[in-house]
Amino acid sequence: MELIIKNGSVFDPYNGIKGDKTDISIKDGKIVNKVSSKATVIDAGGRLVMPGGVDAHSHIAGAKVNVGRIMRPEDTRSGLKPRTKITRPYTGYTVPNVYAMGYRYAQMGYTTVFEAAQAIMKARHTHEELEEIPIIDKGALTLFGSNWPTMDFVREKNMDKLAAYVAWGLLASRGFGVKCVNPGGGEMWGFGKNVTSLDDVVPNFDVTPKEIIVSLMKANEMLGLPHSVHLHCNNLGKPGNYKTTLASMELANQVKASRDRQVLHVTHLTFNSWGGTNWGDFESKADEVANYLNNNENLTGDMGQLVFGSATTMTADGPVQYANAKLLHAKWGNGDVELEDASGVVPIYYARTISIHAIMWAIGLELALLTKDPYKMLLTTDHPNGGPFVNYPEVIALLMSNKKRQEEIKTLNEAVHKRTKIPGIERELDFNDIAIMTRAGTAKVLGLLDTKGHLGVGADADISIFDIKPGQIDPSVEHAKIKSAFSSAAYTIKDGEIVVKDGQITATPMGRTYWVNASVPEQHHREMMKDIVNKFKNYYSIQLSNYMVQDEYVTHPEVIKAGAIPVEVS
Amino acid sequence: MQTVTIKPKSEIKISTEAENISPDKFAGKTDKEIQSLEAWVGNHKTTIGELFSVKVEGSAPAADTKIVMEGDFSRVKRIGEGMTSGLILINGNVDMHLGSKMGGGKITVKGNVDSWAGREMKGGELIIEGNAGYYLGAGYRGETCGMRGGRITVMGNALDFVGEHMCGGEIIVKGSTGILPGLSNNGGKIVIEGNTSRPGSEMAKGTIIIKGNVDEMVPVFKLEGNEEVDGVMFKKYTGDVIVNGKGVLYVK
Repeated sequence: MELIIKNGSVFDPYNGIKGDKTDISIKDGKIVNKVSSKATVIDAGGRLVMPGGVDAHSHIAGAKVNVGRIMRPEDTRSGLKPRTKITRPYTGYTVPNVYAMGYRYAQMGYTTVFEAAQAIMKARHTHEELEEIPIIDKGALTLFGSNWPTMDFVREKNMDKLAAYVAWGLLASRGFGVKCVNPGGGEMWGFGKNVTSLDDVVPNFDVTPKEIIVSLMKANEMLGLPHSVHLHCNNLGKPGNYKTTLASMELANQVKASRDRQVLHVTHLTFNSWGGTNWGDFESKADEVANYLNNNENLTGDMGQLVFGSATTMTADGPVQYANAKLLHAKWGNGDVELEDASGVVPIYYARTISIHAIMWAIGLELALLTKDPYKMLLTTDHPNGGPFVNYPEVIALLMSNKKRQEEIKTLNEAVHKRTKIPGIERELDFNDIAIMTRAGTAKVLGLLDTKGHLGVGADADISIFDIKPGQIDPSVEHAKIKSAFSSAAYTIKDGEIVVKDGQITATPMGRTYWVNASVPEQHHREMMKDIVNKFKNYYSIQLSNYMVQDEYVTHPEVIKAGAIPVEVS
Repeated sequence: MQTVTIKPKSEIKISTEAENISPDKFAGKTDKEIQSLEAWVGNHKTTIGELFSVKVEGSAPAADTKIVMEGDFSRVKRIGEGMTSGLILINGNVDMHLGSKMGGGKITVKGNVDSWAGREMKGGELIIEGNAGYYLGAGYRGETCGMRGGRITVMGNALDFVGEHMCGGEIIVKGSTGILPGLSNNGGKIVIEGNTSRPGSEMAKGTIIIKGNVDEMVPVFKLEGNEEVDGVMFKKYTGDVIVNGKGVLYVK
């Protein structure tokens, strides 16, 4: 199958193409130099062409998402779309059904999405859902931050065993990378407590969050994993937490990257860039966080932008969700995953009239606009924590138009003027910046630039075409057009197949699931497994033999090899 | 004035959804137009005309439209959904979700209604001369607000969870109700003239008056003393104290 896209206004930041008219040739699902004259021609007619969107942080599958669905039957009332000859039914807004996840991402021109948190013990559930999400490629980051073996090996300062555990945990969960959520806090939540600083000692384990973060970063680089450690900082959801965030970011200086990428990705910074001491003097400190990113090269972050309206917060950060549920008098879903972290789910409604929500809205935008290099600040809404992913086009329009921001600010609580800097920020991002924040940058942060996030020869033929003509549109003024074009791709091409045309799904191939098989020396693996066998014997409620996700659960795998020495891992 | 008379053509045995039976949908339409409106029998899409005989007299806007329903509608759901004005008179029994989300107008039922009548009602009036089922004037599963406005009167009895998650409006039950009326209430007023059990649990706001016997109280209320309401002495309680509730519960 050959395809050629002609007359597109191409934005491919990784290859330095900024709106040039370049033909893109596709053969057998890959981008190639040229195709034969028999190739099907798509005439882009001067419209915007970008690589397929890549999302590095979204909650699309697994136990938490399903708890959200169960506790929010009312969410299923919106977004209903009956089945067609091609598509299965859509339901839901903040916690859509599995099919809608794939269809809606594809309709926005996205082709690759990573689930941001799975506990190893719950990974089978994650993969059961991933295997039902159509079209897009996906993968899942595995939680390690409060796991008992992690904390044991950190205390023993045994990096070999920790690296072996990370490698084995990724295999056991068919996971893609290391996620670390409120390190130490998930364990303490089992006793109704939380950690409050990077130097708090986790009882029974005698380790601090700081030691956990640094050790996981080191293990991550020992294994040479494609992605860096993906950190949800301590103290999330508490006024004044920007200090903890900055202190966590400083830890990245202690570790050297094994690949051309960051050593630490600090996620959903909207929730971690908070000043003040309580809800009364709550304010934005996004400028401090952005400033730190501007002056340091080993770090990246993502926005976690807030979108007004209904959202469902879901995280492995159990204690913060208890606090949220109490504060909001909302429904509360709590999860305990034995030796591996905790979790919580709480619905929320973000209102323009509430000062905290208005300030949070501003924080996300400040982060994106004050961080100079778009490769360092990815576009996310931390779906569905800040808002559902279908609102990415709204976020893009806000970033590209100061006029739109000013119009919005007029409708918000006046705190947005006093306690944020957003009213005075005039920067407007261009198509190249957006392509980085949603494509090249995300692929780079994930370590997938070989095949994702660009349109160079050899890349996967994941392409999106939008119904806007760069050069003929002023995004600052015509922001409504920008939003509507990004909401409904003119074409989405996945592995060389047209899956969306004029915003409608035209084909539903099954995407691949990325996971990382990292090797460690056999001896390290054997020593680590002695501890693991003991943990299962003494503490786990299930058998080790029932723990690993089997290949049957990952029927479209894309395995990335990592690690130094190939070893047999059983 | 427009009067539309509807009768089932034959006995309806399969669960039927007919949210198009509403003065807003019928106003100004001819019998042919009304007959072509959509309805669902089970998973089968059909029309109002396939299920019912339709007779139309006159033509008027919704406010001056009266729908008279003769016969047994006990498998017909969602009658009067979202109606904003006009009248529906039902001489028979009806199935679930009668008058759900209605914002105005008036529905009178001579027979019994099944569960979820007046679900998420915002305004208007619902008069049920027979008995009501579960979740009268309640919220949809998972929602935090049920009935927000308007008035529901039941001449007979109602089953459990009357006015669950109610945020406004008024429900009057002349007979008795099942357990937990006013569960998780956040506003509005419920008057039960007969007996009930465990009223007002988890209520944050709103008023509940029980004129009959209360079989069992949930021990989450604070006794404030005696108070006279409409010439009758009641014990006044506030709560639910566990959720810092400011609800008021009057019990004889």
